Amino acid sequence: MNRLKAIADGQTFESVIHQEVLDRDPVVSIRDFSLFYNRKQALYNITMPVAKGMVTALVGPSGCGKSTLLRSVNRMNDLIESVRIEGDMVLNGESIFAPSVDVIALRKRMGMVFQKPNPFPMSIFENVVYPLRIDGERDKTILMQVCEQSLRGAALWEEVKDRLSESGLSLSGGQQQRLCIARAIASDPEVLLLDEPCSALDPIATGKIEDLIDRLRGEYSILIVTHNMQQASRISDHTAFMYLGRLVEMAETSTIFTRPRLSETEDYVTGRFG
Amino acid sequence: MVWLSGGMFAIACLMIVSLLAYVLWQGLWTLWPRTYSIYGRKDGTLVGGELYAKASLEGQDTLYLRTGNYDVSNQHFAYVSSSELVEPSGWLAPDLWLVERKEWGNLYGFPKQLSWSQADPEDFVRVVQQGMRQTAKIDRELGQAKNELKRIDEQIADARLGIRRVELAEKIDLQKAAETGSLEGLSPSAQKAVSNLGLRNRQADETMVEINARIAGLEAQRSERTLVFELPILDPLGTIAADWTDLRAGRLRDPTALAELLGTAKDSSELSFNAEPMGDGGLSEPGVEDQRLVCKVSIAGEPARRLMIRRLEDGRSSVEAFREHSILLADIVRFFPTNRLGIFQRLGVYASRWWEFLSGDPREAGMEGGFFPAIWGTVVMTIVMSLAVMPFGVLAALYMREYAKSGWLLSVIRISINNLAGVPSIVYGVFGLSFFCYIVGGYIDGGPIKAGFEPWPSAVWFSALGGLAIVGLIAFAISIFSGHAQSRRSPLRTVLSWSGGFLWLFTLGLIVWLLVKSPHFHGFYEAQLPNPTFGKGCLLWAALTLSLLTLPVVIVATEEALSAVPNSLREGSYACGAGKWQTIHRIVLPYARPGIITGFILAMARGAGEVAPMMLVGAIPLATELPLDGEFPFLHGSRSFMHLGFQIYSLGFQSQNSEAAKPMVFTATLLLLSIVTVLNQTAIWLRASLRKRFQSSQF
Ligand SMILES: Nc1ncnc2c1ncn2[C@@H]1O[C@H](COP(=O)(O)OP(=O)(O)OP(=O)(O)O)[C@@H](O)[C@H]1O
Ligand SMILES: [Mg+2]
Repeated sequence: MNRLKAIADGQTFESVIHQEVLDRDPVVSIRDFSLFYNRKQALYNITMPVAKGMVTALVGPSGCGKSTLLRSVNRMNDLIESVRIEGDMVLNGESIFAPSVDVIALRKRMGMVFQKPNPFPMSIFENVVYPLRIDGERDKTILMQVCEQSLRGAALWEEVKDRLSESGLSLSGGQQQRLCIARAIASDPEVLLLDEPCSALDPIATGKIEDLIDRLRGEYSILIVTHNMQQASRISDHTAFMYLGRLVEMAETSTIFTRPRLSETEDYVTGRFG
Repeated sequence: MVWLSGGMFAIACLMIVSLLAYVLWQGLWTLWPRTYSIYGRKDGTLVGGELYAKASLEGQDTLYLRTGNYDVSNQHFAYVSSSELVEPSGWLAPDLWLVERKEWGNLYGFPKQLSWSQADPEDFVRVVQQGMRQTAKIDRELGQAKNELKRIDEQIADARLGIRRVELAEKIDLQKAAETGSLEGLSPSAQKAVSNLGLRNRQADETMVEINARIAGLEAQRSERTLVFELPILDPLGTIAADWTDLRAGRLRDPTALAELLGTAKDSSELSFNAEPMGDGGLSEPGVEDQRLVCKVSIAGEPARRLMIRRLEDGRSSVEAFREHSILLADIVRFFPTNRLGIFQRLGVYASRWWEFLSGDPREAGMEGGFFPAIWGTVVMTIVMSLAVMPFGVLAALYMREYAKSGWLLSVIRISINNLAGVPSIVYGVFGLSFFCYIVGGYIDGGPIKAGFEPWPSAVWFSALGGLAIVGLIAFAISIFSGHAQSRRSPLRTVLSWSGGFLWLFTLGLIVWLLVKSPHFHGFYEAQLPNPTFGKGCLLWAALTLSLLTLPVVIVATEEALSAVPNSLREGSYACGAGKWQTIHRIVLPYARPGIITGFILAMARGAGEVAPMMLVGAIPLATELPLDGEFPFLHGSRSFMHLGFQIYSLGFQSQNSEAAKPMVFTATLLLLSIVTVLNQTAIWLRASLRKRFQSSQF
């Protein structure tokens, strides 16, 4: 508890990252990354790897900067004018924040799914192939192939294969979220960013999404924000615990949930605090 | 408080509903074929009319009658106090015809004789209809011939213009040469123009004779066929001594006196006399039985004459004749025995009148006939207006909502645009007239001088042009450079982008100023001067003025629609790697489309109903040409046009006989109101239905 109090008081400290995480091959590594909204600092010198082919969960109390960190990975924060950053991130060896980076091309290498399903007001088919459309892809067979592949990947194909030309908005909330996942994996991204993808869904839909994430493991590297400790323990390989803009502890999920090095982490994941 | 506000609400509702009901009633009722009654006045005269309204004027019941027969009685409508009448209900003469004419308005009378046929009066309807078909053919041929004449005139005018162009280009005077046709000492182009005029003149001389002869022949044919009517206007002939009971029974013991009065029959034995029952009566004073009789007198070999016989105090009877009036068959638009029509025939006439109203040309300075040119003018003007306002408004709103950084400047601009919507429309009219018509139009017609600018000397102008090229180049370089420096946020970049923008503005201003000050441009229509082509009110300027007026509506609606697009959609698109324009074009605009279209339709409704600026920038009461027709180049931006709203104003308040035009004004009002309502309803419906489509059916 003292350490968290110290963080609240603004003292510096070292994040604890277990060796088993560092040993993995990272797809994204965050390096001494800080972020400011105007004057207000939201992220403090975060350094952490996101392991390739694994599911990494970000947990922490509300407002600790999980979404901010996630949105920094594909530079969605560029859209907010007041944002200023320090430090860097690296995607498969290439810098994300270097001045010469083409943001558009960078975003095409990642997929992102938001808290609230946000299908576009167009047909299911067009929703899925949107990333290809903006690249100017016209070939019907390629589009159809990608569409089927992505929908199968998102475990939605069987449910919608007969109604691909219907509006994406005609689906249920859980289906919409899987549609968004299908859209996110349509461009075959190097990393998949999920920001509380289940928080707007009922338990059954949540279960389906969790199954889906489980199936995507290995094929995709996934960084997921979640509020639900059980969910984190069920689906993730690594878990990072954040507090007030800082990374506190990061380890294999089983370690975090059973024998974390810091008692603060234990308090949080067991629900005694937060 | 609840009573007060509720009462005010009720009053407001009542006002709106009664306005609508009044316009609807008047507008729908105007074209309905009514019956025509003939009333007896106490002084012995008759007055006939379609009953348009009953009112109480100065404590007396007054009938508002459409009397028709303007060419004889000099009035279309009359107020008749019921105290003047022997009885307030009139005589519905069964064989009375209503004839709608191309000139002089309606004629109401009894058909007596056809100049081209000896048919029985029972057969008149059929014979006249047949005759009208033939005259319609003559009219068509006449129209063709007149068109040919017009085309010849146009060709000569074109040839004259050609000469004027050569004169302007070569600074010479060709007046003499054009008159004499001599080509000596002229340049090739001048020779060509002069000989072209000569050729056209010769052609015209040849064909004109033939066409004029043809027209004369057709006109003669047209005036050949006439109809004689007996109007419900009495001319006294004299008195006769006859037994009233006999007269009532249709007998006349001594026809000689009557024959003498009529002055026709030598042998009174050929006179046959019969009294006609008068339907509901209504011409006699109550209590006094059968004071008047309408009789038909036929004389062998001649059509029957209609007489009014009135019983006098002293036992004698006065005889009065219905006044005869002859009209041309070719002048008839439509006729029917108005008092004898059944409900379905009446509906038929009603429908055909509406059809004429919607599709026909105006007659009698717009008081009768159709409103087609006005409807067409309004529609074409509105369409051109929306084509102009659409890209403007949408792009401006797009810039303000999606590109511009929010700040005080943007707020000020937004507030100004909102205020612009409240500027009285006549102000736009004045601006349109003085800027579009006189300055821009004058510039197009005759160059800077005509638009009121002093051109620069050639040398000054060319050095300014050089300056422009340099400034433009610098601006271009700066914007390319600052585009490259995009990813960096530095003060240098801010300075660069500001100065680049400023330079572009400066370049634009310089281009405009160079155009205005050019000594080398003399307008596209210099040869037509002093007749203005674009330097007056016309379709183009009217549409542009209106598009300025409706711009705020479009901008506000588009901005609203854009801000209603959920940010999560934009983010989703960016996260897929879409650029700004891709996101706008693929996600934002489709989502905002219903709102944008709604804005448009509202703008169109606003524009279609606007009258005040139209009076200044191009609407005229009577236009012979349509602004959009089958003649190359189809859309004639420089033509003046007729406009529904303006038509209401000019007919109702500016025509010599606005009283007579009032019914038409109501019908036109109804039409305008329904156009605007239909547009508004479409907007509302579209908004509702498309919004539903975009609503997610979550969970
Ligand atoms: N656009 C913004 N402008 C200014 N401050 C922001 C903005 N977005 C987030 N913040 C602040 O940054 C901090 C981190 O926010 P963030 O949304 O990343 O938290 P979070 O961990 O995702 O919380 P939650 O679990 O509730 O989603 C918060 O204090 C928040 O107030
Ligand atoms: Mg969040």
